[in-house]
Amino acid sequence: MASWAFTLLAGAFLASLVAVFVWQGLPAWRQAGFGYITGKQWFYRQQIFGTLSMIYGTVAVSLVALVCAVPIGIGAALCTAEFLPPKPRLFVKVTVELLAGIPSVVYGLLGILFLRDWVYQALTPFDPLSGDTLLTAGLLVGVMILPTILSLADDALRGVPALQRQAARGLGLNRSEVVWSVVLPQAAPGIVAAVLLALGRSLGEMIAVFLVVGRQDNQWPESLASLRPLISAGQTLSSKLGGSETNIAYGDSLHWAAMVNLGLLLLAMVTVVTLLAFRLLKSDRHA
Amino acid sequence: MRKARNIAFQTLAALCAAASFGVLALILAAILFRGLPAVSWRFLTEQIRLVGADGGIFFNLVGTLILMVTALLVSSPLAIGIALTHSIYLQSAILRRRILLLLYLLNGVPSLLFGIFGFILFVKYLGWGKSWLSGGILLGMMILPTVTIALVERIASLPRAYTEAAAGLGLTAAQTIWSVILPQSLGGLVTGSLLGLARAAGETAPIMFTATIFAGAHLPDGIKESPVLSLPYHIFILAQDSFDPSVGAKVWGTAVVLLALVCGLSLIALPLRLRIHEEARNG
Repeated sequence: MASWAFTLLAGAFLASLVAVFVWQGLPAWRQAGFGYITGKQWFYRQQIFGTLSMIYGTVAVSLVALVCAVPIGIGAALCTAEFLPPKPRLFVKVTVELLAGIPSVVYGLLGILFLRDWVYQALTPFDPLSGDTLLTAGLLVGVMILPTILSLADDALRGVPALQRQAARGLGLNRSEVVWSVVLPQAAPGIVAAVLLALGRSLGEMIAVFLVVGRQDNQWPESLASLRPLISAGQTLSSKLGGSETNIAYGDSLHWAAMVNLGLLLLAMVTVVTLLAFRLLKSDRHA
Repeated sequence: MRKARNIAFQTLAALCAAASFGVLALILAAILFRGLPAVSWRFLTEQIRLVGADGGIFFNLVGTLILMVTALLVSSPLAIGIALTHSIYLQSAILRRRILLLLYLLNGVPSLLFGIFGFILFVKYLGWGKSWLSGGILLGMMILPTVTIALVERIASLPRAYTEAAAGLGLTAAQTIWSVILPQSLGGLVTGSLLGLARAAGETAPIMFTATIFAGAHLPDGIKESPVLSLPYHIFILAQDSFDPSVGAKVWGTAVVLLALVCGLSLIALPLRLRIHEEARNG
């Protein structure tokens, strides 16, 4: 019986987490309505709460991270899963998985002391204000999710039975052709799930982003296609919620609700991504 | 043409692997190069002085260990309960998948949100203030999916003959679980816990609002208003004013200690994990 109780307890924990975010955030929806999502301005002293600039920041950081990490991660996974002999493969895989465990605060430290300066120097022709930019945060998160993508994509590729590779080789295909026409099509759902899980992590990442993103409110770009905003400071949902404003806000129910709702938005984005990934993963894997 | 394409493709993949490996090795090298000189016996056994510019990280280390042990005590019983429900009691594939979905969703929740939730529930509603216990509970819930899924995979890889032999001997379900399934799948629990704790040790976001402060805490002497110091929060705060060179050396030293803790836990888990993976592949 205890087993059932524990399962219910875990379910109740998740449910109450969601419920608390919904309940505590209600006053902000009442005050701002959909303006909470579509508004570009956030001035808490004037009780103006619009989060679009922060949603932009979150999406921009995650996109930069994916653009950097996905091609390299999948390419590297192809190399470890398909081309490397077993011993070096194991070595690379083990090292990468160890590095996947480096805490985000250590990445943040590296970002603040190295990456920030490198980005500033590299961008000198474009005259940035500082090295704290959305691009810096995106690059840093890209490095952070690289081991995740590599490891999960490698798992997906290794999940394709060896027999199928041998059959394709027997038909006269060379190694690359086997990968393109036999392995990749079958591993595709798993690889996409790997990318989605990494995306989920980058959306919610707070510590590393917080340290290098500049935390500048209300940075809505004039044109969504323009790259200029990427090389200026910005704010993400998580860097806002993790900042000192959270401590100030408690006690003012409207301001607090507006802060808590940042978490709810984040939760909604991450949940959608997780659900998609879950549907793609083979249903019989753990059953 | 085919041959050229084959070579080009393999080279490109190898370059990607080299790039990933290179970046990560460089990161490791940078941390060790900067941090190792700062680590000494004194650094590990003295308490923090001069706002982090002098002294050591003894109580930060102790605080992080307290949080980890609490997280372990919270997550283990829950993980065993959920894994048994999933793998033994439930017969319906749909319900099993529901439990798995619950674990995936819990795993997906950003760690910052655990912190905010804990702030609302423990710090304010229950009135604990900052307390090691709320940090431990939050970290325990955060690593629950990792621990449970490792255990579930281990139970799934147990040979059928074991349970059949137990049934043949006339053992009841409860006896089978106690004397066959749990002892045999202990490895999964240990592996999962080590991996989970490796993650819990380095997390800052769940504990920064709920359990940890920068200076002035020693051993907790109760639940209410008894925060601890911790390694990740120490780095987080010092990183923000790391321009002072003496602080800089200390913060890299702390990073090396944290990294050693995290990688040490994953390394201990490694042989067990490889064995389980190979069994799963061959079985």
